[in-house]
Amino acid sequence: MSTDDLQRDLTQRTENAPQELLTRSFFFLCAVLSIVTTVSIILMLTTEAAKFFSVTAPLMGVEGPTASAVDFLTGTEWVINNEQFGVLPLVSATLAITIGSAVVALPLGVATAIYLSEYASPRAQRVLKPALEVLAGVPTVVYGFFAVVYITPALRTIIPGLGTFNMLSASIVVGIMIIPMVASISEDAMSAVPDSLRQAGYGMGATKFDVSVGIVVPASLSGIFSSFILALSRAIGETMAVTVAAGTQANLINPLNPADYLEGALPMTAAMVNLLTGDITGGGIAYRSLFAIGLTLFVITLIMNVISDLVAQRYREEY
Amino acid sequence: MATQQEQIEGFGHVSRTIGTVFRYVLLAATLFGIVALTILLIYVANDAIQPLTADPGWHLTFFLTLVVPTLLVGGYLLRTDPASFRFGATVVGLLAVSTMFAGGAAMIFVDIVPPVVWFGYVVALGLALGGVVGIERLDRRLPFLARFVGAGAVIVAALGIVPGAIQSLPVYPTDGIMLTLSLGAPVAVVVGRYAAAEAGRRWTALAMLVALAAVGAGEVLGPLLAIGAVPATVLLAVAVVPTAGYAVGHTRRFPARRSGLALTAAVLGGALVGAAAVDALGFAGPQSWVDWQFLTSAHSGTAAEAGLYPAIGGSILLMVTVAALSFPLGVGAAVYLEEYAPDNRFTRFIDVNISNLAGVPSVVYGLLGLGVFVTYLGQPTGTVLIGGATLALLILPIVIISAREALRSVPDSMRQASYGMGATRWQTIKNVVLPRAFPGILTGTILALGRAIGETAPLIMIGAPNVLFSLPTSLSSKVSAMPLQVYAWASLFASEPFYQAAVPAGVVVLLIVLLSMNSIAIVLRNKYQTDQ
Repeated sequence: MSTDDLQRDLTQRTENAPQELLTRSFFFLCAVLSIVTTVSIILMLTTEAAKFFSVTAPLMGVEGPTASAVDFLTGTEWVINNEQFGVLPLVSATLAITIGSAVVALPLGVATAIYLSEYASPRAQRVLKPALEVLAGVPTVVYGFFAVVYITPALRTIIPGLGTFNMLSASIVVGIMIIPMVASISEDAMSAVPDSLRQAGYGMGATKFDVSVGIVVPASLSGIFSSFILALSRAIGETMAVTVAAGTQANLINPLNPADYLEGALPMTAAMVNLLTGDITGGGIAYRSLFAIGLTLFVITLIMNVISDLVAQRYREEY
Repeated sequence: MATQQEQIEGFGHVSRTIGTVFRYVLLAATLFGIVALTILLIYVANDAIQPLTADPGWHLTFFLTLVVPTLLVGGYLLRTDPASFRFGATVVGLLAVSTMFAGGAAMIFVDIVPPVVWFGYVVALGLALGGVVGIERLDRRLPFLARFVGAGAVIVAALGIVPGAIQSLPVYPTDGIMLTLSLGAPVAVVVGRYAAAEAGRRWTALAMLVALAAVGAGEVLGPLLAIGAVPATVLLAVAVVPTAGYAVGHTRRFPARRSGLALTAAVLGGALVGAAAVDALGFAGPQSWVDWQFLTSAHSGTAAEAGLYPAIGGSILLMVTVAALSFPLGVGAAVYLEEYAPDNRFTRFIDVNISNLAGVPSVVYGLLGLGVFVTYLGQPTGTVLIGGATLALLILPIVIISAREALRSVPDSMRQASYGMGATRWQTIKNVVLPRAFPGILTGTILALGRAIGETAPLIMIGAPNVLFSLPTSLSSKVSAMPLQVYAWASLFASEPFYQAAVPAGVVVLLIVLLSMNSIAIVLRNKYQTDQ
């Protein structure tokens, strides 16, 4: 009997034993959950947004007020109570935050990355990297509070006409928040540049400055660029800091005009939070407009993430 | 043959000025964000704690009793024996962090889960575990399915019957004794084994008994110190006994580092002596907004009376829910992708999908929670369960990505060795891969939980109330959270008193919790990296 058992144990295919099957299917289900999440985000946003637009609402069998898709995309007024759903003011404010934070974060982030990868001693790196991580770890609502209570009054000593809620200090805090993202991804790309390229530069008589600017930065350009896009996509999706600091007035502003940053505006994410802190009834048109903005936001950030991925892969310098 | 000969006129002039300027510009750029945040933190800490409102004598007393001895001892140790210094500092840090955790745990036992319910579940879990081990030992030849079903039945039966049975007993022990048995006993086992390692069975048993007795002392000490038996027992079990056990065990392993305890003594003794001295001399401390009243009372319309208690409790419950949901699911997905997944298109699709999910704005996850859980599944808005589930989905990609990195760092030779011994895939994962990757996975999960604890937007989206006056008592009661309360004060109650008192205090508490979580993760990571 014992030899039979031994034989069975030794020749048994374990790959499909019940215990193996059970654990493998559990792990598989965990992995599939991420796809379920994505699918339900997309389904949720598209069905609810479809109920919002008058073109698609009849298809969904929805009665009641709807909004025209053309008005939504081209309208310049966002007044919930008048059922005016023009998304342009919100988009303009989001764009302003993105541009403003980019002005702060991109140069500082790249400079930080160059310093960390080319100049800093290992010891300095050990101190600076966790310190930078803390910048990204502070909750965004805290940044919003900082902007309103400390940064705006400080800026007011330089710019007297600054409103309590303004785009300038909101952009600055969002910029500070995304510096670590730019810095860490760019630094990874710069560290991946092989040392032989640097040595070749030094061999030609280049200074450290020449090597950093002339060799390392061009060689890691794709990584730097993809870090820019990821960081900006984060700035677009940033919610609490702008909700607290940018105000509640949905003004149509010109993101390229510095004077427009002195007043408040309502970015898309802040508009969503404001919709929910006000009284909205589940299933009403205001509730559905939430999903229409959400869809816009999701599509924009998804496209940016995909582009960043493609850039990092397509233009990666292979060594 | 005409050779072209160029006249080399030296190497020309190389300027060092640009390089030097460039270097310092880079350094300034690197420090910009850090310095800006430091200044903001100093401002907010000053607003919240108001150190300048204290008597000069108060500062002087603490300077003499706490700061000077600590600096002297610390400086001396740092110069002569850095390892001892690190040990002493670790003990102080451990005590501080574990005291904070003890505060959270005490809140749970006082207001959310009565000790008798907890006791019932711990006993049930112990019985279930014993039953499962018994079935496993009974006969290896039983088919796996039978063992699996049997174990499941034992677990369900134990958890279903025992807690109710214990609660319906006519007499049961006091809260302190029940907590000592259910919370103190496991702690005592771990502490005793660490403190008396390699000293023989008798010493280990003795150490365990001492630890258990120390926890049990809370029953007597609590009423004496006027903090109640339950908080005192929890404080001893979660903070004091483990820290003491660590100190004893570590000095036994590295006797040379014993001098590090002088630093611990300087800090603790200095604080106690200082507190006694200012009390005796009648110096008034700072009028801090972060005080006992702030930590233990609910929201109020007047800023000076507003407190954070329900929000702290909500954050703790959310954390527990998020950890319970995201840890198994995230690690499971990571294990599938690293250990099982074939290299095909479907796997690559999951891969790309996860990295894209990590970039989806948190407010969209809030919409997902609102749409799926509230509108479609008909759950009530703003409950602990929905909030926890939404936040868990939000951090799931981060947990998966960091767990995959930890799994990838396990050398393949270890897996091959395990397969060579005849282990199946699941046995290899369970016995070789996961234990080795565990510290890395834990670090990533703690960092992700830190992200979840600071999130506000998803909670607003699922309709969590801005103002809550009592602690949530179950998974289906409404929940508030620390950042949500800060947001409510900063925007809905926006006024000068709130900006100057309640909001800075809330921000300081939130940041202390977050920074201590992050520092635990960083300490774990450093230890893990040096161990490898």
